[in-house]
Amino acid sequence: LIMKDNSLRLVSPEQALKELGLNEHQLRFTCRVQLQDPHSDTDTLSRVYTHLKSVLKGYTIQHLPDGTVMVESIVVKVTASSEDPNTKVLLLSWSYQDEELGSFLSTLLRKGLPTGL
Amino acid sequence: VEEPPELLAPKPLLSGAVPLEPFLATLNKHGITEVKVEDTADGHILHLQAEDTLIQLDEDGTHIVCDNNEPLRATLRDLVLRFLQKL
Repeated sequence: LIMKDNSLRLVSPEQALKELGLNEHQLRFTCRVQLQDPHSDTDTLSRVYTHLKSVLKGYTIQHLPDGTVMVESIVVKVTASSEDPNTKVLLLSWSYQDEELGSFLSTLLRKGLPTGL
Repeated sequence: VEEPPELLAPKPLLSGAVPLEPFLATLNKHGITEVKVEDTADGHILHLQAEDTLIQLDEDGTHIVCDNNEPLRATLRDLVLRFLQKL
């Protein structure tokens, strides 16, 4: 809600920033999470997807064809660690606006995937 | 952390920029002293060597890339937020 020229208007936060002459600052985090998982990268990502689907009810979770899983706006990718084929490195990336969920996911995935997935 | 967070209203937007020298001084005060600074077209990349962490500082954004070290990430987040305004 901004007041300008003696009138009140409801605008998006981004628009409000612009009208106030301020620049938005994007704060992003990318976290590397090591995972012991002997499956292929694609299988690991599918297992991450299944795991997150079962834990996070009510969230929008997508498995995208470009090899990423998205939870709301948080991006999860799998890269193999070069030294050890059984170790995968998950990359989680989120913005400050998704801080709670990003922090939760990084802690959750650090615990590994449940057996039997 | 057993329960996922509620879907909350989004966090406030951030505004401003993180100035290099004062930020380095703040890191220093928090015991992060081995920092290699590289200039880029839009800002700087800070390599926190002991922590194996990268911080990209640009005029309109900051990107923190670290291993899954939640206490360190939270500290760096809070230090960055000191220089920004919340709206």
